[in-house]
Amino acid sequence: MVTQILDPTDERVPIKRSLTPRPEALHGTIALLDISKPRGDVFLNRLEELLHERAPGVETRRFMKPTVAKPAPQPIKDAILEECDFVIEALAD
Amino acid sequence: MHPPTTFSLQDANGQEMQFPPQGPVLLALVKEDCDTCNLTLPLLEAVHRATDDGLDVWVAVQKTEDIPVLKDRHDLTMPLLDDDALDLSYETDIDTVPTLFLYDEDQNCTLQTFGFDRHEWHEIARESMALAGRPDGGTDIDWDALPVQRPGCGARNYEPGVYERLQAIKSGDLLSRLVDLASSDDIHDFMYEQGYTDGFPVVPPTRERVWNMLQGTDRDPQDEIAIVPPNLAPITVEKIAINAVMAGAKPEYMPSIIALVEIACTDSFNIHGVLATTMGATPVGIFNGPIRDRIGMNYLHGALGSGNRANAAIGRALRLCVRNVGGSIPGGTDRATQGGPHRLTMNFAENEDAGPWESLAVEYGFEPTDDVATLMAMSGGPATIADERSREARGMAGTLAASMSCMQDPKSPMVDTLVVLSPDHAGIFGRSGWSKDDVRECIMEETSIPLKYRLRSDDAGCGLPQSVVERFGGEAALDFPVPKFREKSNIILVVAGSAAAKFSTILGGWAGGAYSVPTSATIGPNGALEVRGSRESDMDKHSSGGRDLGAFEPSVRRS
Repeated sequence: MVTQILDPTDERVPIKRSLTPRPEALHGTIALLDISKPRGDVFLNRLEELLHERAPGVETRRFMKPTVAKPAPQPIKDAILEECDFVIEALAD
Repeated sequence: MHPPTTFSLQDANGQEMQFPPQGPVLLALVKEDCDTCNLTLPLLEAVHRATDDGLDVWVAVQKTEDIPVLKDRHDLTMPLLDDDALDLSYETDIDTVPTLFLYDEDQNCTLQTFGFDRHEWHEIARESMALAGRPDGGTDIDWDALPVQRPGCGARNYEPGVYERLQAIKSGDLLSRLVDLASSDDIHDFMYEQGYTDGFPVVPPTRERVWNMLQGTDRDPQDEIAIVPPNLAPITVEKIAINAVMAGAKPEYMPSIIALVEIACTDSFNIHGVLATTMGATPVGIFNGPIRDRIGMNYLHGALGSGNRANAAIGRALRLCVRNVGGSIPGGTDRATQGGPHRLTMNFAENEDAGPWESLAVEYGFEPTDDVATLMAMSGGPATIADERSREARGMAGTLAASMSCMQDPKSPMVDTLVVLSPDHAGIFGRSGWSKDDVRECIMEETSIPLKYRLRSDDAGCGLPQSVVERFGGEAALDFPVPKFREKSNIILVVAGSAAAKFSTILGGWAGGAYSVPTSATIGPNGALEVRGSRESDMDKHSSGGRDLGAFEPSVRRS
């Protein structure tokens, strides 16, 4: 009778991360990340309009993944981290 | 075999016996169901009695339950040691019982033998008496009554299953976590509930089976083969072997499975996207070269599935590696909207002799004698093309074109499509003297329709956006013919199956084929020797300019 098997997984325990505390108000710069899915630009364009309308002091900065099929390149992630306070990603179609 | 220097075993009374004892010692290893052991045990007992305190005679028995049996059968008084765990047998690496080691008072092994050779045993008995300080003494053994020679029996530590278990436990090769099952657990229920399977039962990856699987390669079990998306987890040879066991693979498939893992994890093939896509793509493996026959792959009846172990298990092993190590779980990072049965395994060999052309591997620049695996990302499941009437190449190519023109949707151009021709269909082209390129040219021509029919409309929302009209020169471009495929090389032609009938199969590339390049590797004894994509990655060329088109950049033929 089988009593022991070898673990087929990578055996890593995911790192637990807590959510960043939510700020009281929007401020600084918001990254708008388009993942290159169709109509992502439509969504982000409208969102950008609304942000400028309702949060006039907030800046937006647009980013775009070169392809939908792969994770964002590190330079894009680094730029968002360094230059922005928030990020909104337009995910899926 | 290696004479042991130190060990500790319990005797029949449970007393711990430390080896070596003081003074000379004669050590034997035996098992109960061995005629030669039963022949020689009375001889050892005779030596034990004759040497008295001058020499120890210790007999290690390979099964606990056999100790009282042998003791009663031969009226033994010498210490019988319990080697049921086979620790001593493994350390000495004996492959035959009885095996005999004679040590002098300085613990040097001076004589050793296995099986029964009357002359050798007589010599050992004489030497034992000498070491016991009774060089002139004799035993009551009637040597002339004994046979001249008897072969020994296979030692238990070399029995099938036992050998693998000992190697797995004692070699230190396996470092993966051991998962304990409760006695009440059903192994298949347990593995499914742990999320280890693709839905079907898997072969439980015991240490013995995994060690055995590792014999299919010379690579160190802890060698890292690749970083597997989406979790970007390193995968070792051992982890591949575990998943290969689960998939039902044989050790001789290991080089192929390692090679597929290496191919899948290249930037060119992009397994991350292949398995994360909502379109439900999967890697399809195609094998060329002598390896097809060497590992018993099927390229005849039912080549695309089912019933062949190599075809099924190699593809399934790759999928399980990506699932279990990479973490690609349906509903998690695997976002397939619907999926399909070909996502369990889709792997076959090309029927190279039945086709009129060079094989896929040769087309991609490899030698006919190379063992080559090619992975393609396909989201369209196998779709049958039935044409039992065409006898000429033109008609056959027209059937293919008409069948392929509606792949994914009837308007959008696409990139890679895999056409698996049956030998009968391929033979039509061969008899007509058509090359692969002739077939492709005809399909490009036959699938070409004016750009205006590839545009989105109220009648059918699929297709290209109106904005492409401007890019291709405005109104005048509306009548330019646009083929279904961007380039003729995107029509991938292989031959598989038997000469049973005139049915072929097409599989559509993922997202038209734009995000993953068919990628090949030569397979060596330890995995991939050389990995290369069949072309430059489309993603770099169409990263942003093509986004309005989805992934596709249509080839417009200005006439």
